[in-house]
Amino acid sequence: MELLDRYLQAVKKYLPLRRQDDLIAELRANMDSQLEDKESELGRPLTLGEQEDWLRQIGHPIMVAARYQPQQYLIGPAIFPVYWYVLRMTFLWATVIYSIVSAVLIVSKTPNGTAVLEAMLRIPGVLLSAAAWITAVFAAFEFISTHFPDKIPSPASLSAKWHPNSLPPLEKPSATGKRPRSYNQAVAEVVFGFLFLTWLVLVPQNPYLLFGPGAGFIQSAPFRLAPVWIAFFWWVVVLNVVQLLWRCIILWRGTWQQSRRQQDTAVKAFGIVPLILLITSRDHVYLLLKNPATDQLRYGNLADTINKSVYHGMSAVCVIAILSLAWELFQVVRDTDRQREAAR
Amino acid sequence: MTLTENVFENLRLELRRGCLTLAVLAQLRQEHYGYTLRKDLADHGLVIDESTLYPLLRRLETQGLLVSEWREEEKRNKRFYRLSPEGEQILTHLLKEWHDINASINRIM
Repeated sequence: MELLDRYLQAVKKYLPLRRQDDLIAELRANMDSQLEDKESELGRPLTLGEQEDWLRQIGHPIMVAARYQPQQYLIGPAIFPVYWYVLRMTFLWATVIYSIVSAVLIVSKTPNGTAVLEAMLRIPGVLLSAAAWITAVFAAFEFISTHFPDKIPSPASLSAKWHPNSLPPLEKPSATGKRPRSYNQAVAEVVFGFLFLTWLVLVPQNPYLLFGPGAGFIQSAPFRLAPVWIAFFWWVVVLNVVQLLWRCIILWRGTWQQSRRQQDTAVKAFGIVPLILLITSRDHVYLLLKNPATDQLRYGNLADTINKSVYHGMSAVCVIAILSLAWELFQVVRDTDRQREAAR
Repeated sequence: MTLTENVFENLRLELRRGCLTLAVLAQLRQEHYGYTLRKDLADHGLVIDESTLYPLLRRLETQGLLVSEWREEEKRNKRFYRLSPEGEQILTHLLKEWHDINASINRIM
């Protein structure tokens, strides 16, 4: 039967090379027997249409051959959850590390907007590359664990070492009644924290990042900032670095759902330091004349007025910040007492 | 196919998969080649596609549960399968498991 030969020939093309002849010989023997039975039932050979119907019922050659292939996974279901977790963590840390390296390189070379934009446009390539490496490592792990199971610990043996005592404590709803922070929120805080820090570090060399087109006017103005602003600026940078590191650690430890009231209070407390630096500066000078000899008469009074205004403004902000901190500390102490009482 | 029909079909196939293996192992306590095995199973009410049965036989042989040999019968070379000693042990365990599950289901129902 020519049609059967053509069918088997088509199936053979999709079979594993080493077993092709053996599998086709068996398939042919079985199909010949089936054909004989059909023909003896009918008392005549099958018509072309009947042959076609029969082969169509058996299935497309690709599908028939596919059943003989071993079930293959690039990454199997046993290790896929671990792969997915590692991939997410890799994306996060690749973004964080790349942002730090880029920020350092940009600041140390020629800090400008184009360099920042170029660095940001390279992020998808970095993430794709990281994902490809992680996938390759896990695919290799899957291959070894499938083909050489004695060479590698199985996921089952890993789970045997796990103990319920290692489970994190029960998550309690926050005292303010707010929903706990989600993973996406925690990641967004880290990513935007880095972007903000990069922007902040770039501002001194690129004032247009803060003032926009007004930067040109500021450069042509007869005033310049007093040295106290340098100390203020670096305090703010250090505060943001610390806060960012804190967020990264929380993300790494997987505790982003826990309340971080103490962290917020500490940041608020340290945030008062740069304000105090400003209001305790010598003679409360925040703006200086670029050319005092020539501009003193014309702009001297204006500079004094601005300095006084900044001093009063900053003093008011400082008082508000201290009151806010005191209120927060009071709430922390009160809630701690309540929790102690409830625990008794 | 509606969503419900699709879910049912998947569950049915899942349920059938293990049962077919058990039936094939049980039937191969006596020697068969592919086509006659399929006919025997069908005669007992268990219809199974060629494209499912023949690869299943190969898989069970690779797992050491079946042994096979090529032999001429009615002037045609055929590959005959039968249960291996390991296959007999496995079949005994599987049948016990099957009876336990069946008894449990009956009690639940």
